[in-house]
Amino acid sequence: MKKSARVLVFLLAVAMLISGASLAESKTTVTIYTARDTNVIEYVKPLFETAYPQYELEVLNMGAQEILERVRAEKVNPQGDFLWGGTEAAFKLAAQEGLLSAYTPSFAADFPAAYKDPNDLWYGEILLPEVIMYNTEALTEADLPKDWDDLLGEAYKDAFIIRGVLASGTMRTIYSCMIYASGGSDPEQGYEWLRKFDANTKEYAQNPTDMYLKIARQEGTLSLWNLQDIMIQKIVNEQPFGYVIPESGVPILVDAVGIISGAKNEEGAKAFYEFLFTPEIKLALAENMYQIPAQGDIPADKLPQWIQDLELKAMDIDWSVIAENEMTWMTYWDENIKGKN
Amino acid sequence: MTLKQNDARVKTPIANRPWFIYVVLSPIFFVLLGYVIYPLLGVFRDSFFVNGSFSLAYYKRIFNTSGMTNLQAIWNSLYISVLSVICCGIVGTGLAFLLESFEFPGRKALKAFAVIPMALPSLIGAISFDFLYGSTGIIPRGLKAIFGLSAVPFALKGISGVLVVHTFTMYTYFYLPVSAALRNADTSLEEAASGLGASRRQVFGRVRLPMLTPSITAATMLVFMISMASYTAPLIYGIDRTLTMQIVLSRTNGDLGMASAQSTILAMISVFFLVIMRAYEGRRNYSGVSKGSAIHRKEVKGRFTRALTVAGSFLAVLFLMLPIFVIILISFSANGKWTTQVLPPVYTLNHYVDLFTQTKFLLPIKNSLIMSLAAAAGNVVFGVAAAYFMSRRKFAGRGIVDKLIMLPWSLPGTVVGISLIVAFNIPTIFSFGQVWVGTYYILPIAYFVRHLPLVYRSTCASFAQTDASCEEAARGLGANWFFGFFRVVLPMVAGGVASGAILGLVQGVGEFVASILLYTSKSMPISVAINQQMYSFRFGTACAYGTLQIALVAVLLLISERLKGDTASGPI
Repeated sequence: MKKSARVLVFLLAVAMLISGASLAESKTTVTIYTARDTNVIEYVKPLFETAYPQYELEVLNMGAQEILERVRAEKVNPQGDFLWGGTEAAFKLAAQEGLLSAYTPSFAADFPAAYKDPNDLWYGEILLPEVIMYNTEALTEADLPKDWDDLLGEAYKDAFIIRGVLASGTMRTIYSCMIYASGGSDPEQGYEWLRKFDANTKEYAQNPTDMYLKIARQEGTLSLWNLQDIMIQKIVNEQPFGYVIPESGVPILVDAVGIISGAKNEEGAKAFYEFLFTPEIKLALAENMYQIPAQGDIPADKLPQWIQDLELKAMDIDWSVIAENEMTWMTYWDENIKGKN
Repeated sequence: MTLKQNDARVKTPIANRPWFIYVVLSPIFFVLLGYVIYPLLGVFRDSFFVNGSFSLAYYKRIFNTSGMTNLQAIWNSLYISVLSVICCGIVGTGLAFLLESFEFPGRKALKAFAVIPMALPSLIGAISFDFLYGSTGIIPRGLKAIFGLSAVPFALKGISGVLVVHTFTMYTYFYLPVSAALRNADTSLEEAASGLGASRRQVFGRVRLPMLTPSITAATMLVFMISMASYTAPLIYGIDRTLTMQIVLSRTNGDLGMASAQSTILAMISVFFLVIMRAYEGRRNYSGVSKGSAIHRKEVKGRFTRALTVAGSFLAVLFLMLPIFVIILISFSANGKWTTQVLPPVYTLNHYVDLFTQTKFLLPIKNSLIMSLAAAAGNVVFGVAAAYFMSRRKFAGRGIVDKLIMLPWSLPGTVVGISLIVAFNIPTIFSFGQVWVGTYYILPIAYFVRHLPLVYRSTCASFAQTDASCEEAARGLGANWFFGFFRVVLPMVAGGVASGAILGLVQGVGEFVASILLYTSKSMPISVAINQQMYSFRFGTACAYGTLQIALVAVLLLISERLKGDTASGPI
C-alpha cells in the first residue's frame, strides 16, 4: 500500500520536474507549414540552415487544405511563421480572411503581376502543371489516355488511385478546373464529368505516400497529380512513374508562399522567403527538385533541359471563379458524387 | 476566553452548514462547467446557427435523403459498431471459456499473451495491421511470392479491415471480465442444478450464462461506444463515411458548423449508450453466496489433440505478437526503400540514433510524457477530491455531478477535440481570458477532460472498499481534517488512485484522435508524429516512434499490474 503511494508521489514529482524543464526554451526557430514533397524539404532545410546559422527550421508537412484550416484555427494564436506552398485559390482565400501579412520582397520589382498578390500578401514561387500520372511498368504508350475525356472510358475502369481530395490542394484544384472547363461557373456538366470519373476511381488514398505506394505496387495504374511531385518520385525515389500531358491543355497552378499574419518569428520568415527566391536556389531546385520557377528572371537557356523540353499548353481558367466556388463544389462532390458511381 | 468561544462559534457551524459542501465543491463545479459542459454547449449552439441566425440547415443537410452521405456515415458507424461488438464478443468470450474450462499444453502461454493487444495504441495498432495484412502487406505478398501466385491471395481492406483491427484491439474488454467471472463463479450452483436433474445445456443456459450477463452487457456497451468513437481504423482503411471521419473532413473543408452538427449527433448516440449502460449496471447482480471455489478445468487428452493444441496455441500467440514484431522490424528499416519487396530490403539503426540524439526527434516523446503527466496530475487532484466528496458526503445534486464527471468518458475524442476548439478559440473566463487554440495548453486540457473519469471511477471503487469509520476514528483521536485525510484516507485509496492515474497515462501516451485536431508544432505528441512520418514516407522513423510508444505503454501497464497485486495483499 505504501509502495503505491510512493510510486504516485514519484510520478507526480517527475511530472513537475519535466514540465518545469520544458519552460526553458532557447534558439530561434522558424516554423514552416508546407505541402511540399519531403525531398524538397530535406533538400532546402540544410542549405538554409547553413546560410542562416542563427535560424533553425521546424517544418510541419501537411496537405495544403489542412494547412489553410490550421492557420485559420490558429488565427488568434498563430503558431506558424511561413506558408511554403499552397494553391493560388487557397492563398486568395487566406488573403481575404486576413491570415497573411504583407511583405515586399527585394525581388518584387520585376516580378510578373499575374503570379503575385497586388497587396504583396503572397508571391508565386513555382508553376505546377497538373497532369496524368501512370505506372510505366504496367502501361505502355498505346494504353495511355491522350486527353482528359479519355479518362472516362471503359478501358480505365478501376484504374485510378486518387489522393483523398478534400485535404489536398492539388486535387481540389484539379477537380475544380475540370468543373470550370466543362461549364464555367455552372457546375452541373462538371459534376457529370466527375461522376463518370468517380466510377473509374478505384480508391481514394489517405495521403500522397499512400497513393504513390498503391500506384507503384499496381493496385491502380493511373492518377492525377502535379508534375513536380511525379518527377521527384520518378527520379529521386526511383519509382516507376511517368506522366501524360493532356492535349487540350493542363491547369497550371501558381504555387505560392507567404508570411502568416502575426508570425512570432517574422524576421526568420522573411529570411527564408528571400532565400527561396535567390537565383541559385531557384536554379538548384529546378534542376534537382523539378520546380518550374514562376518568376521568369532566369534566361531560358540557363534553365535545366527538362524544362526547355517541356511543351505545356495552359488550360484557360479564371482562377477567381475557382477561388470563389471551390468549397461549395468540393462539398457537393464529397456529399453527392464521391464513391457513388 | 471570550476569544476562544467566538472562534468555536464561528468555526464549527460554517463547516457544518448544508451549503458549505458546495463551497468546497466549487472548484470541481468550475472544472466540469468550464471544460465539459461549456464546450459541449458551444458545439450544440454552433450546430443550430448559420451566419449568426438560428437555422436547421445543417441538420437538413445531414438528413437529406438525396445525398445520403451523412446518413450513410451514421449507418456505417452503427453497422461497424454492432459488428465489432459481435466479433469481439465471440472472440473474447470464446477465449475466456477455452482458457478457463480446459487444461491443455500451451494454455499458460496463451493466457499470458492474451492481454497483449492492450499494449497496442490505436494508431500504431491499425498501421501494423495494414503493414501485415493490407493488400500490399507482408503476409499476403509473402504468400504470393512463396506460391508464385499472380495476385495476392487475400487482403484486409475496407470495412472488414476496420472490423479485424477492432476485434484485435477490443476483444479484451470481453475476455477479461468474462474470464474473471468464470474464475469466481460459484460452481456449487452448477452442481446443485445438475443434482436437481438439469441437463448440461440447461445448466449452461439457465445457471452459468445468467451469471455472466452483467459482465457481457457491460462489455457490449463499452465496445459499442469505443467503436462509434473509432477514428484511426477508418482512417487507415480509408472508410471516409463514418461519423468521426466526416467530422474531421467537414473541418478540413472549413465547414465548422457542419462538424458541430455531426459532433452533436455522434455525442447524442454515445451518451444514449452511456445512460443505458449505467442504468443496467445497478439492476442485475448475480453475486454468489460463497466465494467461488477453484473452477475445475477439463484436461485435454490424447497425444494428437495435445499436439494440436500446442500448435494452435503457438499460432495464436504468434498472431497476437505479430503486430508488435512488425513494428519493431520496420523501425530498423531504411526510409523510402521499401516499396514492392515482401520485407523491407535495407536495415539501419539510424532512426533510434536520431531519436535519442536529436532534440527535435525526441520532442514528441517528451511532449507526450509531459502532457499526459500534467493531465494525470490534474486528474489525481480533481478525481480524488470529487471521489472523496461523492463517496463520503451526502448532498443534493450528487447524482448529477457523478453523471457529469463520467460524461467525457462516453464522448468520442473527435467530439472532445471539436468542442474544445469551439469553446477556446475566443477568450473565456475558463481559459482565464486567453485564447487556448493554437497553444500548448489545449492538449493537456483535452487529456485531462478525457481521462478524469478513469481516476474518478477507480478512486470511487477504492473508497467503496474502505471503511469511513477509519477517518472518523482519526478525527476522534484528535487529528484535524488535513491530517486525517493525508495520513489515513489517502493511503487507504492510493492503490485505486494510482491505477486510475496510470490508466490515464496509458491513454494519454497513445492518444491520437483529439490530438490530431488540437496539436501545434510545439506540442506534437507521439501519435501525431507517427502520422506525420507516415505521411512523408518515412515508415522507419514512424515505427521507431511506435516501438517507443508500445514500450512506454507496456511499462506503465506492468507498473499498474504490480500495484494491483499490492492492493490485493494490502491490509483492508
